[in-house]
Amino acid sequence: MIEFNEFSFRYREGAEPVVRDITLSIPDGCFVGITGAAGSGKSTLTYAINGIIPHCYPGDFYGSVTVEGCDTVDTSLTDLSRLVGSVCQDIDSQMVSTVVEDEILYGLENFAVPREEIPARVDEALASMGIADLRDRTIDSLSGGQKQKVAVASVLALHPKVLVLDEPTAELDPASSVTVFDLLARYAREHGTTVVVVEQKIALLSDYADMLVIVDEGRIRFADTPDAVLAHSEELLALGVNVPRSTTLMNALSAQGLYAGPTVRNVAGAAAALKEVLA
Amino acid sequence: MIEFKNVSASYDGELAVLNDVSFTVNNGDFVAFVGTNGAGKSTTMRLVNGLLKPTSGEVLIDGVPTTSLKTSELARRIGFLFQNPDRQICCNTVREELMFGFKALGEEGSEAEARVDAMIERFGFDADAEPYLLNRGTRQLLALASIIVLAPPTIILDEPTTGLDFRECVKVMDVVRELNENGTTVIMVCHDMEVVGDFARRVIAMTAGRVVADGPTFEVLRDGRVLKEAHILPPQVTEVSLILGREAACPAAVAEANTVAQMVTAVAQACDREVEDVEVEAID
Amino acid sequence: MAKFLEYVPGESFLHRMNPCVKLIGAVLIAIACFVTSNLVFLLILLAAALVMAASCGLGRETAGLCKAVFAFSLILAVVILLTTPHGMPLVPLPWGYIGTGSLLAALTVVVRLMAAAIPLFLVFYVTKMNDLTNAAVKQLHVPYKYAFTFTSTVHFIPVFMNDMAGIMEAQTARGVEFDGSFAKKVRLMIPLCVPLLVSSVRKTNSAAIAAEVRGFNLRTRTSGYKDYPLHGEDFIAIAVCALVLAVAIALAVVG
Repeated sequence: MIEFNEFSFRYREGAEPVVRDITLSIPDGCFVGITGAAGSGKSTLTYAINGIIPHCYPGDFYGSVTVEGCDTVDTSLTDLSRLVGSVCQDIDSQMVSTVVEDEILYGLENFAVPREEIPARVDEALASMGIADLRDRTIDSLSGGQKQKVAVASVLALHPKVLVLDEPTAELDPASSVTVFDLLARYAREHGTTVVVVEQKIALLSDYADMLVIVDEGRIRFADTPDAVLAHSEELLALGVNVPRSTTLMNALSAQGLYAGPTVRNVAGAAAALKEVLA
Repeated sequence: MIEFKNVSASYDGELAVLNDVSFTVNNGDFVAFVGTNGAGKSTTMRLVNGLLKPTSGEVLIDGVPTTSLKTSELARRIGFLFQNPDRQICCNTVREELMFGFKALGEEGSEAEARVDAMIERFGFDADAEPYLLNRGTRQLLALASIIVLAPPTIILDEPTTGLDFRECVKVMDVVRELNENGTTVIMVCHDMEVVGDFARRVIAMTAGRVVADGPTFEVLRDGRVLKEAHILPPQVTEVSLILGREAACPAAVAEANTVAQMVTAVAQACDREVEDVEVEAID
Repeated sequence: MAKFLEYVPGESFLHRMNPCVKLIGAVLIAIACFVTSNLVFLLILLAAALVMAASCGLGRETAGLCKAVFAFSLILAVVILLTTPHGMPLVPLPWGYIGTGSLLAALTVVVRLMAAAIPLFLVFYVTKMNDLTNAAVKQLHVPYKYAFTFTSTVHFIPVFMNDMAGIMEAQTARGVEFDGSFAKKVRLMIPLCVPLLVSSVRKTNSAAIAAEVRGFNLRTRTSGYKDYPLHGEDFIAIAVCALVLAVAIALAVVG
């Protein structure tokens, strides 16, 4: 469980708070997608979960954020890291090793995972991201998608309760993006891991997330199931948030009086709904 | 006009990253290159403006091989917007940044000043602002502006919308569309298939350093073999129509729709017919 | 091709050796190269270094490296050639002459630098950076923070070089002509340090945070999972390197 309680934050060098009055609770095992226009404060929300705020970026912190009952202000960054695994936006600078296996070992060594457990943890982490065959490759020789999977696997090896990812598919092509989301969603389902992902690709989020959070100018405008959020397409567009083309299509059909069903969030949904319309 | 004639290329003389690639881009075209990372799209872009020279074959710009064009001549003919604007931006103010290209080409003067002023006005930039303090989307626009201010006949865009939010993406693409309408040739590498479907008139799909398809946008994006081979997902409406098209009873217009408007019209038509049928029955 | 100082996977004898032994051995040889000026001895060391490189299939990488070291040492060699009037005069200069001795001295500098540099660089080609630092932390008791700083620095060199290449490419596309005299190139590159600096600061900052959230602060000398046992070959290798140094010192004393 992650709980934001009237959370506001102002970076020391900023004049205004970047996020304000955030109250949100994320149940265990939930796959949460956060999106919003540039500068809306969506990354700041993830920093608040993994403790980078306030531990790395100082500023004014109001309200509280708790992860699994631990207050992120009172808990040290290292202790929070045992609960929350983070994959940063810039994966190239996140890597500390030359070879994939060493990258997975890094966190395990630091958190003093018992020696006898380590081999199994490494195997499991590699397998869960489908990269067992990359074990001995140099990181430099990997494609962007493969690197992203290594970054995620190196964090999954630590068995975090919560996984936080900041734009994990920004550098990836659509096929690799879908693969990364597929693997993440499957892992989270199997292990009951809570996943919080910031992402611009709304179609991807709508397809995978259990909860969609829309941030605008530091405030949460919507936090609900994708279907419920996408029902507000017009408002989303006004906030600078795109909606999946499938949703736009079905909305256009409803406007013409050709479709009267619920909001659609992906291609499969649109195809199924249209089949009914055409039948 | 840009011609690739059996072009192969490699970095450091090792494994070929581009293998026997041929195509022609005519003046005024709007072409999108699609395919997975590592398919050779960015390499192709580097070859177009001579940053990379082919190991075999020829790249011709208006009939002249890139190998015999000087850097400044290439820069005059082709504007290149890189994926990361921060690699491009290097001046202390927005105005200097916009003047930079003229300086590099030795073309400073009142004409240049006037064009820079027009660009500042058009994009609503703060001329004295420090580029590094602008947000990502504005930096991307500044990078674009500093290229199009030189009015190159062709522009290359390497993933112009990556890292931008929806609003910024619309802004950038509106500028690009307008340029194209006024005759600028646009060559773009793009992962966002909705953007490709909305803007490009022609798609070249690549995989493993080869061209696997080259044709009108939706002809390529509806070709099952190409989609599979190049690992690309079609735009959502196209995908919906492809799924519906598999049903025997699907009306042709629905099975061929690629845009929201086309699909709505097609569905309306399909339903109208039913309504008419009902009416016919009622009349009977 | 391997990038600058980057690990090249392999199974050769040198790959399998203990990382600390490799590092110490290379340092011993480098010291040996600097204590003696015996050209024959240096040539033997250079030949041995090249044989070692070839033995682990790194001939090409080493050749590239040799070129770079050669170019650098050539500058030194020219300076020595012009400023050390020794031996039989060959070419008169306004301030002295170039003699056979100057030629010999210049040649010695080139051979010495190459013989000293190749083993050191070879260490990085045949050792994973993590093994090197982990072994150094475990066996040589180097504080982890220093080891990590070192790894990160080496790790970031290719990243920054890549950044610089990207920045130069972007400017070339805008019509900046970098080809030309060295002075012109430098003048054009200076303003580009700003974007490089901006991206470096960003990258190092996010790297530091990324390491911290993966338990950097908890790491101790014993954290490393892998062990780096010393085998018979390792002792022999160290003994050979020590012997080389001893011979070099002896030659220096005798000569």
